[in-house]
Order: sequence, then structure tokens, then C-alpha cells
Amino acid sequence: MTHAWVLGKRALREGIRTPEAIVPTLFIPLFFLVVNVGQAAKIFPGSSTDFLHGQGYGAFQLPSSMLLAASFGSAALFLVEEIEGGYFDKLRATPVRRSAIVAGRLIAEGVKTLLLASLIVVFGLIFGISIASGVVGFVLLVLLTALWAVVYSGYMQVIALKTRSAAATNSAGLIFFPLLFLTPNFVPRNLLTRPMEIAATINPVTYVMEAMRSLILVDLAWETIALGFLVVAIAGAAMLVLSVRMIQTYD
Amino acid sequence: MTGVASAAVEAEGLVKTYRSRKDTVEAVRGVDLRVDAGQVFGFLGPNGAGKSTTVRMLTTLLSFTSGVARVAGLDVAREPDAVRRRIGVALQEAGLDPRQTGRELLELQGRLFDLAPAYASRRAVELLELVELTEAADRPIKGYSGGMKRRLDLASALVHEPDVLFLDEPTTGLDPASRLTVWDEVRRINERGTTVFLTTQYLEEADALCDRLAIIDDGRIVREGTPEQLKADLRERLGVREVTLDDVFLDATGRTRTHVEGEVQEVTG
Repeated sequence: MTHAWVLGKRALREGIRTPEAIVPTLFIPLFFLVVNVGQAAKIFPGSSTDFLHGQGYGAFQLPSSMLLAASFGSAALFLVEEIEGGYFDKLRATPVRRSAIVAGRLIAEGVKTLLLASLIVVFGLIFGISIASGVVGFVLLVLLTALWAVVYSGYMQVIALKTRSAAATNSAGLIFFPLLFLTPNFVPRNLLTRPMEIAATINPVTYVMEAMRSLILVDLAWETIALGFLVVAIAGAAMLVLSVRMIQTYD
Repeated sequence: MTGVASAAVEAEGLVKTYRSRKDTVEAVRGVDLRVDAGQVFGFLGPNGAGKSTTVRMLTTLLSFTSGVARVAGLDVAREPDAVRRRIGVALQEAGLDPRQTGRELLELQGRLFDLAPAYASRRAVELLELVELTEAADRPIKGYSGGMKRRLDLASALVHEPDVLFLDEPTTGLDPASRLTVWDEVRRINERGTTVFLTTQYLEEADALCDRLAIIDDGRIVREGTPEQLKADLRERLGVREVTLDDVFLDATGRTRTHVEGEVQEVTG
């Protein structure tokens, strides 16, 4: 764990020294939040739309923006840069556990996303969104977002280790868009058309989004929250196993 | 009575074969090596001969298809972590993190070798002094010149005071002054008792630094001995007065001076 933390701190320093990689991670999700709310808020007025529980449409859209912020996966692109530049081999030539090399960047990604998610929520609060589940809910909300960032970065790292190509890693990251749009992104699942409802039910991101949304709109709905964390735990374990296997067999 | 020197590096029948759907490339075809502790050992060969592949196998960075390798008395395939604790590695491309400062990089390297934080900081200061980078210590590495990067890479390979130091073409691309500085460092490191395994394409470098050397060509060792022995053998065989290490190299690899110019073989993983 010490090695993973030492490498995590290094990755955090790297993030701080590369603000140009962080700014879009904050700006683009906020942009989508503003645009989506602007386009659909009149269709779903808070006063007469049951699924909004008395809040504006921005509260419904907030989880999508937070998940988008958590799915940029810049850690994997830094990893490719490191592979190409030779520093990755330098790390592999040290006696640290292979899992620590993978985990270091994931820890940094988690910490970075805690901060970004908090900023997005603060932005929402300024524009009238409230967190129905209070302080505990706020903590769970940013934590779930950060854990999703770890999962997604884990996936991107697997692609980076497999392909060793920035272009391939970048392209693989775009899978998040279909994953994000095959969810109850604009309306709850029961209002989707049947094919979309089936697709959303199969899509694991749906459960993360629904857990986040419940924290914002309906207080602590533990069953929904637990399902979101369970999906993240299973996906996270799978990504960690794959990443470690990939780095152990890396030649 | 003269004692038998212990081996710092030993390899027997080391083979690396890359297989793809289209073809098979035998990068290393059965390398046998022995480097005694305390030596500077030169590993020479034309581009694509298998030098870097061999070094990557000996440093645990690349699996081998068959054969046995022991470094610092430890089996490379079976005890890779133990081997990593005993070796320092500076590869062909100075593998550095451009966003860190020189000091941060060395301190991090120390922490990865389990040095206590305070000791890792002291060690970084010592090494920065050794490679004459004290003034640049707190500047981002991306602003360093090629020579500075090489020296920092060398320093990072020494953080944990390794028994065996692997240097893969440490002076490629450096200007003559930087090259001489690296040579001095290598000598100084070796005088402190570290065995140095050095790959190079520069024959004068091998002649100046190495106690023994091996020439690899097409994945096989084709000559091995001290520079003087190799030159004497060729002198005797050709019946000429003067031969250089260049002549030994050309003879060993079956190349002519014209043939060597511009010839590049690539082996990809």
C-alpha cells in the first residue's frame, strides 16, 4: 500500500502540473449540464413532474454530468506516455508489487474525482439544486462518483497496457458515450421505450446513475444506493484483476 | 592462491522468440554469458543483434522463451523481485518522468526501493552531487538537456546501491563532452565495487571502459574476451601488426566497413 500511495502522490503532482488536462474534465460536464437543462427543463417543470420530487430538471441531470466528469480517464493517457517514454519500464524494474504500479494512478484518479465531483455539486447548489439526502448523501454522492472514476480509469489502463497506443486508448474511452446514453439519462427507466428500457436495465452504469440520482432527489434510499455501490465494487474488482494480470504478463 | 571470482551475471542458452500470426522472429538464439563480480562488461553488436533484448531479459523486463539466467546469484525467472533489489537499470531511452523534478524523481525511486523518506532525501542529494545536477535538482526534468537526462537516469539506477548496474547504450546521442562525463561516472561507480553490464555501439567506448566484452550478432555470441585478447587473436590470425576493436567487430559480425554504414535491422516485440 505504501508503494501505491507513493506512486499515487506522484500521479497527483502530475495532475496538478498539467491543469490543461483537468480543465476540460470540469468544463465539458458542466457544459452538458447547462445545455441539457436548457433544452429539456421546460418539458419537465419541477412543479408538475413527479420524478423530479419538487426539484428542477438540473437535479435530475446532475448525475450524468458527474459520471461524465469521472469518465475522461486521463490517467491511462499519462500511462501510455510513460510507456512510450520508458519511465514505465523504470518502474517495472523496481521491486514494487505490480498491483501498486496500477493502483497508484487509480488512487490519484479517485482523489482527483472527489475534488471535481465536489466542485460540480457546488456548482449545482449555486444554481438551486439541493441534495435531498443531506451531508451524508453528499459524501456518498462524491464517493460513488470517485469510485466510478477508478473503475473507468482501470478499464482505460487495461486498454493502455494492451495496446500501448494513445490513439487506441483514447478511442476506447469513447465507449462511455453509448454507455451514458443507454441509461435513463433524460427520464426515469419506466418512461423509456421498451428497447431502451431493456438496454438501460442491462447497462451497469444505469444502477450507478440511479443511486446518485436517488441521493439528490429522494433522501437515503439504501437499496438503490447499495446497488450502485455493488455495481462499482464488482466492476472495480474485475478491472483491478485485469489490470494486474495485464501488467504481470507485460513484456 | 587466486580465488575464483563470483559471477555477477550468468546466462545459459538464453533464447527469446517473438511469435506472431505472420512470422516468427528469433531475437536471441541461445546466449551463454558470464560476467565476474566487479567487472565492467561490454556487450556489443550491430543494431537488431539482440543486445537490448538480452538486457531486458536479464533485468526482468522481458520473459525468455528458454534458458536460465542468474543475476547477483539469483534466478531471474524465479526470483524477479529479489533480482530487482540487487540491480540498477538505465535503459536505452532515458526513462524519466518529465513532469517531476530531478530531486523528486530520485526520492521517489528511493521510496520504491523501501528507503525511509529521510534517507531517500539524503540519498537524492548525494546522487545529485555525484552526477553534478545539484543546481538543476528542483527544475522539471522536461527542461533538462539530453546529457543531464542521461546522468539523472544513471543516478536513479544507483539509488539503492545495486550490486549490478545495467546500462543500455548510455551514451547514444550524447555530445562528446557529455559522453566523457558518463564514462567518468561509469568508472567511478565501478571503482566503488558495482559490476557494470554495458551495451554500446561505440567501440572506442568499449575499449576505454570494459574489462571484458562479448559481441553478439544475429542473436548469438560470436566473440568473447578482453579487448586485448580479442585484438591479439585477430592480429595473429590475420598476420598484421595493428588491429583495432573496430576490426574485431567487423570480423566477428562478418561485415565490411561499406556494409555496416547505414545498415539497420529492426526487431520488434
